[in-house]
Amino acid sequence: MAAIGWLSKNVAVIAVPIVTILFGILVGWLAQRSAFCSIGGFRDYFMWKQTRLLFGYLALIIGAFIGYLVFWLITPQAFEHFFWLLTSGLTPVPGAPAGLTVIGYVILAVIGGIAVGLIGVLLGGCPLRQVVMTSEGNVKALLFVVGMCIGAVVFTAWISGWTVTLLKGLGIA
Amino acid sequence: MDEIKLNSGSPKSCLDTYARNPLVLGLLVGVLVAVVQGLLISAGGPEAYGFCVACHTRDIANAAFNSVAGTKLAYAPISQNAILPVLTVIGVLIGAFVSAKFYNEFKTKTASAVSYIWYLLGGLFFMVFALFMGGCPYRTAIRVGYGDAIAFIGLLAIIAGVLVGIKIATIMAEREG
Repeated sequence: MAAIGWLSKNVAVIAVPIVTILFGILVGWLAQRSAFCSIGGFRDYFMWKQTRLLFGYLALIIGAFIGYLVFWLITPQAFEHFFWLLTSGLTPVPGAPAGLTVIGYVILAVIGGIAVGLIGVLLGGCPLRQVVMTSEGNVKALLFVVGMCIGAVVFTAWISGWTVTLLKGLGIA
Repeated sequence: MDEIKLNSGSPKSCLDTYARNPLVLGLLVGVLVAVVQGLLISAGGPEAYGFCVACHTRDIANAAFNSVAGTKLAYAPISQNAILPVLTVIGVLIGAFVSAKFYNEFKTKTASAVSYIWYLLGGLFFMVFALFMGGCPYRTAIRVGYGDAIAFIGLLAIIAGVLVGIKIATIMAEREG
């Protein structure tokens, strides 16, 4: 039931680091030039009614939809569950801790989203902006990125499991 | 709160005028995440994983930690199956560094030790909460484009968080006078 992409599996496993690093270089260049920032987009809009960055973020959503739609029409087997809501209902695309109920995922999305927005505003940028500022020589942003790496290990090793146990123990997941 | 840095000076070229426009990044990267999925999905899931700063950093960090410490921390199947994990964030670091150097915008900015600790903790908690919702604001955006209703709820929660953050930042600024 695994999705079949444009490359065969043998080629794709080698292509993963190459394609993603080239794609990353393109994103890094454009993000450095445009000071692209998702959370900054919302902040600028709510604080000063500036729409420059906000429209960039909205363009990302629209661009992704158009890209997925067009390539799904050409090669549907590589985009198995597009349009997710119609094929898989209210479940999320895998990524959050696995094996929860819909209510559990909504709770995690709400808690996670609010905290992400809050931290992003208080520390002056979303993770992409922090990575780009690191490359521009900002030591605070570098520490943020180091913190993200530690957070990833801590989350996967402990917090993810604890959260699932807690939600299941409370009977909501 | 840090002021958003607007690029100063006149554009050096026509290409740079486009690169400075966030709409170009948004639309181009949006379409390219679909291309990346088309190319790489055979290596493993999840879907709508073309670009994510939090998850892709998680894949690199966990893979590196596993190989150093001999642990078996989980990360995305695509990164586990491939010869190396997704290197998008390394690419962003390289691309932004080359760009900053090329346009003479690279400048080492230091700050106080206290602020370093805040940023370190901020990054740590940011990652934890981003992984709760299954991705940073970017993966949330492309998941919304992929049709994920939970991601849309997450997007609304991010907006709510931004409004709360603005409120807190305003109160803090008023107290400082």
